[in-house]
Amino acid sequence: MRLAGRISLFFAAASLLLTGSARAATVVKIGAALSLTGPAAAYGAQQKAGILAAVDEINKSGRLKGVKLEAIIEDDASTKEQGIAVFQRFINKDKVSAIIGPTLSNTATAADPLAQGAKVPVVAISNTLPKGITDIGPYIWRVSLTEAQVIPSALKAAQAKFGFKRAAVLYGNDDAFTQGGYGVMKSALEAMGTTTVGTQTFAKPDKDYTAQLTALLAAKPEILVVSALVENASGIVTQARQLGWQGPIFGGNGFNSPKLMSNAGPAAEGVYVGTAWNKPSTDAANLAFQKAMADRKHDPDQFCAQAYTGVLAIAEAIKLSGGKGGREDIRAGFLKVKGLPTPLGTFAFNKDRDGEHSAALQVVKDGKFQIVK
Amino acid sequence: MEQLTDIYLTYQSTIGYIGINALLALSIYVSLSCGQLALGSAGFAAIGAYASALATMKADLPFPVALLVAALLPALVAVPLGLPVLRLKGVFLAIATIGFGEVVRLGLVNWDYVNGAQGIVAIPQKASIWMIYLAVAVTLFLLWRVRGSKWGFALEAIREDEPAARTMGIPSTQYKLAMLVLGAALAGLAGGLEAHFTFMVAPNGFGFSRVVDMLVFAVVGGAQVFWGAVAGAAFLTVLPEALRELAPLVGIEPGPLRLLVNGLVLLLVILFLPAGLVSLPRRLRERRAARKAARAPAGGAGAAA
Amino acid sequence: MGQQVINGLFLGSIYALFALGYTLVFGVLDILNLAHAAVFMVATFVAVALVGHGLDILLALPLAVLFAGLLGLVLERVAFRPLRARTDSNIAGLISSLAAATIIEAVALEIWGPNITRFPFGTMPEGPASQFQLLGGTVSRLQLTIIAVAVLLFLVLTWLVKGTRLGREVRAVAESPRSARVLGVNVDRAIAAAFFISSALGGAAGVLYGLAFNSISPDMGHGVELKGLAVIVLGGMGSMPGAVLAGFALGLTEVFVVANLGGSWRDVISFAGLFLFLVLRPRGLMGAAATREA
Repeated sequence: MRLAGRISLFFAAASLLLTGSARAATVVKIGAALSLTGPAAAYGAQQKAGILAAVDEINKSGRLKGVKLEAIIEDDASTKEQGIAVFQRFINKDKVSAIIGPTLSNTATAADPLAQGAKVPVVAISNTLPKGITDIGPYIWRVSLTEAQVIPSALKAAQAKFGFKRAAVLYGNDDAFTQGGYGVMKSALEAMGTTTVGTQTFAKPDKDYTAQLTALLAAKPEILVVSALVENASGIVTQARQLGWQGPIFGGNGFNSPKLMSNAGPAAEGVYVGTAWNKPSTDAANLAFQKAMADRKHDPDQFCAQAYTGVLAIAEAIKLSGGKGGREDIRAGFLKVKGLPTPLGTFAFNKDRDGEHSAALQVVKDGKFQIVK
Repeated sequence: MEQLTDIYLTYQSTIGYIGINALLALSIYVSLSCGQLALGSAGFAAIGAYASALATMKADLPFPVALLVAALLPALVAVPLGLPVLRLKGVFLAIATIGFGEVVRLGLVNWDYVNGAQGIVAIPQKASIWMIYLAVAVTLFLLWRVRGSKWGFALEAIREDEPAARTMGIPSTQYKLAMLVLGAALAGLAGGLEAHFTFMVAPNGFGFSRVVDMLVFAVVGGAQVFWGAVAGAAFLTVLPEALRELAPLVGIEPGPLRLLVNGLVLLLVILFLPAGLVSLPRRLRERRAARKAARAPAGGAGAAA
Repeated sequence: MGQQVINGLFLGSIYALFALGYTLVFGVLDILNLAHAAVFMVATFVAVALVGHGLDILLALPLAVLFAGLLGLVLERVAFRPLRARTDSNIAGLISSLAAATIIEAVALEIWGPNITRFPFGTMPEGPASQFQLLGGTVSRLQLTIIAVAVLLFLVLTWLVKGTRLGREVRAVAESPRSARVLGVNVDRAIAAAFFISSALGGAAGVLYGLAFNSISPDMGHGVELKGLAVIVLGGMGSMPGAVLAGFALGLTEVFVVANLGGSWRDVISFAGLFLFLVLRPRGLMGAAATREA
């Protein structure tokens, strides 16, 4: 019997009887390939919590009559080699109906083609590269907004607030995600007619960014635009403040983590981040999500909310195909998903199989993310 | 039958990676066979991977030609690299070649034409498992022919005592350079196969930790015989998949467990099995023979009493 | 300009501190101890845990350094001493140090998890109140302390190696273990002492690094591991003044590359420089002659 990373969530036998169905519920297996170890482990942990909570809530709610979801979670160690191995397990051994993940875009470009070839629907929950993910093929979908969907509007909102004309840009150039974020920032700033007074890079293992920051600040920018993973983000913010930078700092998707405040402390105040998840939103779906996470004593971030939404989208697809949970049923269902209430807001897939919902700009104030109106 | 197909499909990538990792481990082994610790293989593999991907995608070359490019280009780079660095001995050669590997990786990170850190994606999958294993088989055949030949003796002499070998008239620098070039070609070939097996290549896959993995394969398997590297690669590539099943039983997260087991295996092998895992059966046989020998006189004495 | 000089000196002091211990073992045993970065990391976590339990950093720092030194003794006993008699001991030692590093990182990952963490706020004074202007740049007291500690540790170490009996024994072993033994030196003890001092220095570097940047994680050693290698090569094999000089030289070079060419050139130049130095001037800035060539 295989126990590894397998968490099955079952109805109590009694509640099954209450649904009035004589036959046992159909089990629909969903595989989740997450980075639970390695460099992206911090994101994987949030995603795991979101997926387990969503599966549990859906099964309890009885929303899918006669269908029970089962999540199989495997670690890809943040590497493409193991990401591919996990996908092949899901497709051929566990015979899952759909796959969620993988956490990293680099891994996705290596593993998603396998699912496409085997006609297994994939839901990306954190791959934000604008190109190269959903264009792999018609079986690859995503709920995570791309950087191109979040950053330009958030930068515009920030400009409306500060009216900046001169921006300095700092980004991690040895990581696919931060490099992709930089590309979007660059073209967004150009489109806004902002002058980029300096561009600098750092590498993931760096802890000291003072040389880059000193050079950038010397060019007298009005805003500091940063594409970094959270591990680097708190250090960058802290050192920028130490060097006397009082102005606004605009961060990419990697800044979307409570770790930013817990590591940078007061230095994080005044950091602006475009976000796919409006945490303070009082939509019923968002409140239900926050309650579900609070019940599990988990402090969620955007990655958790996106993972939760990924499961909701699969459940909705099953419902829309008449309660059938085969691979083709789920893909056919995805085509019809529209107006779905999720923690991220009202959700739909567009014709490119990318998710569509509203994005927001948030700022760190009093140690918390708050939405900029 | 269907079940068998499923098992094969499930472990297809692991099976493929055993072959790719075996080639990479062999690329380290060939230099070790003449006593040189050269750690440039991640850089060579990167050159092979990128060159072959560009050859099939941009130049529309047939896959076998692309593989040829993947093997030849790193070999060409290895000649001017090897001439100066092979004068260095021991860990200094290792450090210089690590430096070379990092420069290659950083060059790819900064090269916009190949998308920097995002790497080349949507590479057609042209490498099948039989091709990977054919490459391994041909390499093993070559190395088997070298063993026991004039070449083999020369390499062994250089490994044991280079100054002595030189006084015997063995041109040690040429031999060492030849092995470095062969290692570069093997690494490049592995890189070319990997690129066309996994749909993408990115610079992060060719960092310092990758070359450390290759060295560990070669050492754990056994660096004294040519099939040791293959055994090491097979053992350590299967290990993470086996640990997936084991992790919940021992109550440690799979990630730390994988690291822990890797570290322990390496430490135990270097301390107690300097000739690698492939020497384990022989060691056990010797042990048993020794024990039998120790018991035999005792038994005889008992019978006499 | 002034600010960049300060940035470079500070970065350089971190490299120098890390490389001092690295180069000591290298000089004595000819072994590249790749577990040095793991000791560096684990000492930082120990200090964070001690401060978290309410200890003052002035007490936590020496305790963590002591822990690092003891861990060095364990490493020497388990991973290096058994290999000393082998002919390929420098390659075998490199590999066993790699194994030790992997094990230490696995344990740290299991205990502390993969997330970055930091010293509790208030461990050291932070914010504008702890900073002042110097050479036209901003510098914090903590940064000055770290630069001072790096120089101080270098002086102490130099005295230890040049001025004490233990130091003379260590140097004798570095020269030739066989003749040292003939001269009545306890070789095992001298090597163990070198490991203790080296790892303690590595631990001190880790804690100060953790305090300075507050981005502490099980993989924090990876960033300095290869840079440290560049520093000891640049400085010259086993040369402590060389390591300090090269540490500051690399720190300043990196900062000026970033300022003038941009960040993406920094590591390219560091590693290309490492490579060229090995090929063109194998004995580094201050190393002994010709020992690195076959």
